[in-house]
Formats: sequence, structure tokens, C-alpha cells
Amino acid sequence: MPAEDYAPIDQNWLGEAASLWTTPWVDKPSERVIVDPIILSHAATVFKKSVGYFYQNPEEAMRMVCHTCEMYDITPVGHYLFADYWGADYGAEIKWQTNSPPSISNRPIKNAEDVDSFEVLPPEELAKGPTFSTHFRALDTCLKEYPSMFAPVTQLGGSMEVLTNWAAIEDVFMWMITEPELVDTLCSRAVEHMVNASTVTTDKYGLNVMITGSVVASGDLMDREQIKRFSYQPVSRAVKKVLNAGVGPGIYYHLCGNHYDDYDLWRNAPMSPFSIVQIGYDGQDIFPTSKLIENFGDRCTCFGTVDTKLVDRGTPAQVYAQAKEQVLAGKDSPRGFILGTSCECPTTAPPINVHTMVKAARDHGKYEKF
Amino acid sequence: MSIIDKLKNLGGKGMDVKISAELENLMKDKGIKKEEVQEIINKAESSGNKLKSTDGELCIAKGEFENLTVYAMYSASELKDVYTHKMKILGLTGGELADADYDDESDWVCAKTGEPALERNVDMNYMGVTRPGPGIVCPNGSDFYVSPGVAKTLTTAESVLEEKRA
Repeated sequence: MPAEDYAPIDQNWLGEAASLWTTPWVDKPSERVIVDPIILSHAATVFKKSVGYFYQNPEEAMRMVCHTCEMYDITPVGHYLFADYWGADYGAEIKWQTNSPPSISNRPIKNAEDVDSFEVLPPEELAKGPTFSTHFRALDTCLKEYPSMFAPVTQLGGSMEVLTNWAAIEDVFMWMITEPELVDTLCSRAVEHMVNASTVTTDKYGLNVMITGSVVASGDLMDREQIKRFSYQPVSRAVKKVLNAGVGPGIYYHLCGNHYDDYDLWRNAPMSPFSIVQIGYDGQDIFPTSKLIENFGDRCTCFGTVDTKLVDRGTPAQVYAQAKEQVLAGKDSPRGFILGTSCECPTTAPPINVHTMVKAARDHGKYEKF
Repeated sequence: MSIIDKLKNLGGKGMDVKISAELENLMKDKGIKKEEVQEIINKAESSGNKLKSTDGELCIAKGEFENLTVYAMYSASELKDVYTHKMKILGLTGGELADADYDDESDWVCAKTGEPALERNVDMNYMGVTRPGPGIVCPNGSDFYVSPGVAKTLTTAESVLEEKRA
């Protein structure tokens, strides 16, 4: 749908939502905790479109996300991104699918020899590449049509996410055992890429919010020492370099998946004044917000989570109970709190479950610290 | 001859560093006087409270004013850069110099102790908001600096805070 087919965003809602959204970052008092269920292709469901349609039409995807934010009364920020960023810039083939986000195949690094010859693209080349070209179509739409909902996000993931979009994940995991120095080399390239990509966004919009962290590098796939070496340390290097290059200031540590064995490492990860930490799971269970606050509450803004499995397949009563428990544990965290989901809102999650998270925040997320 | 030796040769008279026209204009734009920078450098030289680059060629001195921290990066003969931030550094985030589990050595050495300075999070306060930021910390945990790039990041952060806290 073109822009004129959407009803205007309610400016009163936008003002109130912006006020709620501002509190966790700058301690400006507002009524209650804001909810951010990380809306991406779920917006396509709201608009009765396919996931494929959503991702192949970034301008419309952004409009759908912004209006879905209004519908649910959640974080008023437009997003467009998917996991398999950056592979296509280096020669991988991107496959646009009807019922799931784009995926890549034919990755550019096929063997150990390819690692040595692999060169990271400079910012000017990345800016013209397929990932940013698509990403910026969405961000430019937000900036033009929904300027108050704009955030200059760069979707990077951590070092393991970047390098497994360059080389097949099974090869990378094999090299971690047989030739770990090769993975070190790839991590260094990933760090360089992350800095260059952040530079592109900053050059275009004046500032940058870097989504990083650790998704592949979780406790279900890697042990603590592997996570430290191939994820935590290179990601920390990348964040330090980004901040020292002046291409921040937003740092979003998205620790998706199970981090029971490595969450404590991230306590000392480099941070900026606008840093947030989100951790998905503690073993098989949702990461308790009480534990999140205990470890990160005196450092940065905390992102407490409701299990996406529950949002997707649970009853509203189950969602409400978990959202209540998490928001009560986090709402007065000293450096700000947001209630969200453990990862992206599932595409076909029942809308009532997303609404129920907001209901729990309204009922139990009123601030007492102000 | 290292910068330290050259400075020793000045016999405690303080430095008189050369400033390029470009940098002088930048200082004017920021409202910083040449004499203030000179004073910051002289104090750092007499007290030893400064950072020295690992190759010994550059130093960073800082002066803390009520609402502004001013940094001077200089060689033995020339002022190389002047940068500032409004956020006030309060101390180490988390209160102690815990093990960071990553390579946290910076390109700088604490001149007073000769120990490598570390890149660590420090708490910063501005407009009543306290959050972390990347600092350069002397290992005794008593002296904190930021790099020119981080100062740029902080300027952006300060603008956001000014807009959102207004």
C-alpha cells in the first residue's frame, strides 16, 4: 500500500508513547514501562501480507511496522532488518522466500584458502551494496514519513553472525575445532566489517544504533571458552572501535538464545551512554529479569523478556503471568527498563498475546522510582 | 629524544606549544582559549597526571571545569588536538576494576606510573542522567580520560540527552 492508503498516526498517541520510550534512556519520568515486542514480519500478519512481501517491499514494511506499533501501543520506532544481512554484499546469493525471511546461499568463503584472501569492503563500497541499499529504503521511508519514529539502526549481530553469513556455519564450527586460528582471522574481518558498516550509517544519518551481541554464539551451540574467544572478545573489540571512531552512540547487546554459561562476561562489555542488554534464555527457561537487573541494572538499560514461544503458542493468561513477573522485577531498574520478547515477535503470533504484554505493563509496570 | 626528555629539558618553565591556524579556529569555535590549554598542559607536565602514547611521541592532558572537560593532545613541540565533553566522569562503572576478559590495553600509558592505561567503562553524568561510557583508565583507578573519537560519540549522546531531557 502506498503511504496515502494509511490512516495518519495519532499524534497524541505518538507523544505519549515517545514519552514512555524516552524514560529508560534518559530517566525522564513517565507513567509506566514501555513494551517492545520487536515487531518485524509480525506486522505483515497484521496487514494480511506474507513475510516475503514484507521483506521485498522495505518501504511498505516500514509503514506496516510503524502502524502496528500504534495499534499495539508499543515502542514507537520503525524497524526493518533480517538475520542474513551482509552475505550478499560479498557475493552470496540471497533468496527471497514467501513464508520466511530472506536467506542466503552460496556463501563467498568455501574453504580455508578463501579466508586468507577475503577482504572486507570499505564503507563507500558497503554503502552501495545490496544490504544497505535495501535497509536504507526502509529507514529513509521512516525518516520521511514517520520522522518521530526514526532510529538509525545498523543490524550487525555479533562476530559469529557476520562470519556465518560469509562461510557456512558447519564449516565455521568445524574450524573452531580443527583450525581455530582461521576463525580468529574471520572474527577480525567481522570486527572490521562492523566498524565499516557503522561508519556508513553514521555518515548518512549523523548517528548510529548498533545491534550486536550474540545469537549463534549461545550456550546451546558453543561452550563458554568458545563464546569468549569467538564472540565476546571480537564483539567487544568491534564496539570499542565503533565508539572510538565516533560512530555510535547506540549499542544494543542482543544476546538471543541460551546464555546461562556466558551472560556474566557481558557485564564488562564496552558500553556507551545509550547501551541496552537483552538476554533471551537461562538454560531452557526465560532469562529472569531479576537476574538481569542484578547483573546489569547498575550499568545500563535492561531489556527484560517474555518467551517468544509463549507469545506464539501460549495462552493470554500465560503471557500475562510471565510479563507481570518480568515487569515487576525490572520496572524500577536504576538505569532504565523495557519489557520485550526474547527475540523478534513471531510472525503469526496471536495479536491478543502481544496486546496482553502491553496490558501487563499497564497493570503492573507503573514506576515507583520517580 | 623522547617527549619526556624534551620536556625535562624545558627546566620546569612549562611548554610553549605551536598551534596550527586550523586548530586555533576549532578552539575558537568551542570557546576555548589558548591560555587555558597552555595551563592544562603545564599542570599535567608539572604533576605528571597525563597519558603518554606507547611510542612516547604524544601526550594527553585534561582540565576539568564545572561543566566541561577539556583534553589537549600534544607532542613536544605542537598541539595536535583539543577536544571536550560535557558529561562528567564519576568513576569506574560497577565501582571496581574487575577483569574484563578482553584485550583492554589502550594505546596509552599512564605517565605517572608507567603502566598501560586500560579501556574500561566509566560512569558519566549529564543533566542528572548517569550511564556508562568508554574511558581510558589508569590501572590505579584514579584517573580517567577519553579518546578524541569517544569525545565525538559523547557529543552526540549529549545532544540526544539535551533534546530528550528538555
